[in-house]
Amino acid sequence: MRLEMGHIYIKDIQFASESKIEDGILYVSEEAVKAVALEDEKIKSVSFDIAKPGESVRITPVKDVIEPRVKVEGRGGIFPGVISKVDTVGEGKTYALKGMAVVTAGKIVGFQEGIIDMTGPGADYTPFSKTLNLVMVCEPIDNIKQHEYEKAVRFAGFRVATYIGELARDLTPDETKVYETCTIKEGMEKYPDLPRVAYVQMLQSQGLLHDTYVYGVDAKKIVPTILSPTEIMDGAIVSGNCVSACDKNPTYVHLNNPVVHDLFEQHGKTLNFVCQIITNENVYLADKQRSSDWTAKLCKMLDLDGVIVSQEGFGNPDTDLIMNCKKIEAEGVKTVIITDEYAGRDGKSQSLADADQAADAVVTGGNANQVVILPKLDKVIGTLDYVTKIAGASEETLREDGSLEVELQVLTGATNETGFNKLSAR
Amino acid sequence: MNRGKYIVLTNNPLVFDKLEKTHEVIYLETTYEGLLREVRDRIHDGHLLLTHPLSGSVKPNETPYKSVLISAGKEEVDRRSLTIIENAIDACHKFQDKTGRYGESVLEDFQLIDWTLLESGLASADAW
Repeated sequence: MRLEMGHIYIKDIQFASESKIEDGILYVSEEAVKAVALEDEKIKSVSFDIAKPGESVRITPVKDVIEPRVKVEGRGGIFPGVISKVDTVGEGKTYALKGMAVVTAGKIVGFQEGIIDMTGPGADYTPFSKTLNLVMVCEPIDNIKQHEYEKAVRFAGFRVATYIGELARDLTPDETKVYETCTIKEGMEKYPDLPRVAYVQMLQSQGLLHDTYVYGVDAKKIVPTILSPTEIMDGAIVSGNCVSACDKNPTYVHLNNPVVHDLFEQHGKTLNFVCQIITNENVYLADKQRSSDWTAKLCKMLDLDGVIVSQEGFGNPDTDLIMNCKKIEAEGVKTVIITDEYAGRDGKSQSLADADQAADAVVTGGNANQVVILPKLDKVIGTLDYVTKIAGASEETLREDGSLEVELQVLTGATNETGFNKLSAR
Repeated sequence: MNRGKYIVLTNNPLVFDKLEKTHEVIYLETTYEGLLREVRDRIHDGHLLLTHPLSGSVKPNETPYKSVLISAGKEEVDRRSLTIIENAIDACHKFQDKTGRYGESVLEDFQLIDWTLLESGLASADAW
């Protein structure tokens, strides 16, 4: 599959009477985006705001972060099975609005976290302090069930992102990148001496606020399967989860998955990037066995030499991670696993809830229990009402001077397990 | 062993309310860790662990609620079940206990999340 990605750099976002993109500035008609969000009758009201890097703004509780895109050539449309029809995507031409994001916020449950600080120490930990954010806070109709509210906010975000993406349809991209995958046979003939490498992506799939969708299908109900890595760039995988915000993949991360992009960077040079394998992280142990058996089986059938495995979440998925690693290694395929750690506030506890000798090549996204102090910021988009209830917070969280003492867990994307974060060590 | 048969161990009143008439449910008024210890005792007794004890991203000691499925039948002690439950009990100590400070509506949200996590396990268990 061959996908041309056109990047359109957004330098500023402003509210205006008409929505358009001109000279890198995104003008947003508040009235128009409100109408798009309110298409769902389960949303009573929505407010839009703009948060820019460096501003004294805190956004919370964040549900999802989405990069607007538009498909200008080729089969299907953005977010297949969700917004567009279910046609297979990943070929043709797609434009992405770089440097900006649509951020959805809204309290679905009382302990919901997800903080994006646009300045200060918190901004150093979340990658979304660097994007111009069009933030939408959705209020549901009265007496709505949490499931319905979650779904309504999820879809409203995708609709608004799609509306914004459409504004770029007739523009000329500032930069174009081409991503091309081979068929199995082509790859073997073209790169006979390069190691055959795939990306195994584990998708969060446990229940309300813990779900992921593939072409609209709840990932709990998939068996491991193969994607062309270009499919994710058109929104084949979207997020429905936000609990423990540090290590969940917002839709933005699925669209821009750094493992996929880095493997493409090396494709044809140091390795042959064969495909992406997706699997799930169900709570039922027999499901884990089936999925890890199948993932290892696919690796073997594809004659892979190595895989990179990324996890999503904490605890339960640690078991899937180790099962995948162990079984894939047992098939003679080398693994590198990407995770994050819950090593306690002092960093001295066991990092994962499972382990095995086969897991001898591990990349970490950081310790989610690490404590940070977030100073009081001038403006809050959303609400701080629940901040003492969120993961990684405590009674002492909201301090007298208005600052927050929290663990990294609360910051959206702080310890992301695809490497889409700011923590590193040298 | 008939794998279709299972027992629900829970300290979540919502789970008990929803399942008590249709399922074998053991409701225990205990903490998150206390519930995991009860599960461990039953694994030592030969029950098989069927769902992951650390299901969900709401951490131990942050949510007070936990529901776990184990097999109704007993066999020899399953070492894998034992490893998973022991690691889960260990993990409880990494998180500060905040369970005493929530209002009623937050507790209800925690109950709901625990229920949806269990529900996804029940859907798989009932497929056998």
